[in-house]
Amino acid sequence: MRNISNAAEKRKKKFGRLILWTILIIFAGLQFFPMVWIVDFSLAKDTQLFGSDILIWPESPQWQNYVMAWTNGHVLRYSLNSMFVVVCTIVITVFFSLTLGYAFTRMRWRHSKAVLSFVLLGMMIPIHTTLLPNFLIYQKLHLLDTPLALILPYSAFSIPLGVFIMTGFMESLPVSLEEAAVIDGCGVMRIIFQIAFPLTKSAVATIAVMTFINNWNEFIMASTFLSTPTWKTLPFSVYEFAGQYTSRYAVQFAVMVLASIPALVVYALLNEQITKGVTFGAVKE
Amino acid sequence: MNRIMSDKRMIACLVVPGLLVIFAGIVFPITMSVYLSLTDQQGGAAVEFIGLENYVQIFKADKTFWRSIFHSLLLAIGLICVQHPACILFAILLDKIGGRAEKVFRILLFIPCIISIMVTSKMWINILNPTFGMLNKILQAVGLSALCKNWLSDPNYVLWCIIFIVMWQGFGYGMLIYYAGVKGISSDINEACAIDGAQGWKKFLYVTFPLLIPVITVNVTLAIISALKEMEIIYLITDGGPGTCSQFVANYLYQIAFRNYQYGYANAISVVFVIICLFVTILYNMALKARDA
Repeated sequence: MRNISNAAEKRKKKFGRLILWTILIIFAGLQFFPMVWIVDFSLAKDTQLFGSDILIWPESPQWQNYVMAWTNGHVLRYSLNSMFVVVCTIVITVFFSLTLGYAFTRMRWRHSKAVLSFVLLGMMIPIHTTLLPNFLIYQKLHLLDTPLALILPYSAFSIPLGVFIMTGFMESLPVSLEEAAVIDGCGVMRIIFQIAFPLTKSAVATIAVMTFINNWNEFIMASTFLSTPTWKTLPFSVYEFAGQYTSRYAVQFAVMVLASIPALVVYALLNEQITKGVTFGAVKE
Repeated sequence: MNRIMSDKRMIACLVVPGLLVIFAGIVFPITMSVYLSLTDQQGGAAVEFIGLENYVQIFKADKTFWRSIFHSLLLAIGLICVQHPACILFAILLDKIGGRAEKVFRILLFIPCIISIMVTSKMWINILNPTFGMLNKILQAVGLSALCKNWLSDPNYVLWCIIFIVMWQGFGYGMLIYYAGVKGISSDINEACAIDGAQGWKKFLYVTFPLLIPVITVNVTLAIISALKEMEIIYLITDGGPGTCSQFVANYLYQIAFRNYQYGYANAISVVFVIICLFVTILYNMALKARDA
């Protein structure tokens, strides 16, 4: 008797898992299929797109689409520009998150709480509200068309999140190590950069990754502040190519694939950190 | 220790440079917005002080602005009532499946969040294209060609398309946050459920859901704020059109500023926009306090 009910239970469980797998596969497919579609069409001929097939079987993959995408889409140059802007933003954000975070959690001063809340408000303000005033300011200061016009607002909007992550992390760290350092006559600067910095490595990594995700694909500011190709960032590859070669549909898809690769590589390498960064606030509350 | 940690000069060294960046990048531009919003500046023309006229215009006569806010509200409702339940469901399913598959699905479901909005927008424009788009092709393939539409030019459907695309793009992000919440439920509780025979719906209703409520409050606020902030997808896919059928505040602001060059008026919109976001934040903090009390 017992065996039979056990077997029934087992069958029920197996059935449940089958449903679970099916649902997840269908949904993951929905989220992922468009990527397959882009890659598929990027290897087609421009004229094939208008056929009635949902996917095109690549009998003769048009690899030269990629050659044209690479050379005429300025992918390399714009990637390097994006990289430069984002790396600068990350360095600035991490540095100030560390100093501000330390001052908010360890140092004792009046209004510390109030200033912290003020900084955190920055997370709620839409970056686009500063678009017009910043444009007017940079025009006056001749900063348009320079990377600084992007690095400054990107950093200013990334620091609040960085401080949020850093203060949360530092609060959970024991102070005993720092106390010992003070007794040994260590100054605050040395404590921050030689003791706190190595201890907060995982928070630093999280901040770096979040700053990357939030700014790597930013487009509206970039398109407002940059007009010459010298400093244009990666999203421009797709935008400009589609504007210049309107009828080269398949090649447009190839540009999209190329423009997605850097972020996908970063994601493949750092997906644990990204998961941690995205979920940070939720777990803490 | 105490003396070193309350050294005023040191504190200033640590705090002031960081605050300067925030002032230069956020506070100063917004202050400038407030000032310019009281003028009728157009392009490079001379500035004339007109008091609160721009604000009166927004509150009394600007239908597009309020329509944009209404669209944001619809989007927020969509995010909260459709996207978030889906996120919670899949967070739980992911946790259930376990093992290597858990990781693989987690990575796959997050991919749309990593790819540039520029790319995903272009992709959706293509999918929804009336002649060669995938959606109409699929509808034809299953014999529903009567449902084929010019999705993005039809005033009745364009807003829903946009709302769907925003939900699709942000799904992985929301799911990951809930996933962390589900993972945060300790194994003791899960074991207790197993012993007491609480499984499936019962477990969700009486155990998982109540434990997720703190995560849900945070996420709901973030949903409202992100619905207000939404810009890139609209700018790249419909630019608010046809007419103002899919207009959102940030995109409207952009058009007023950089196509009409009505700087004064655009700045007034900016200011109202910031105030609305801060208002939502205050409501959120009040909700948090009420919960903790």
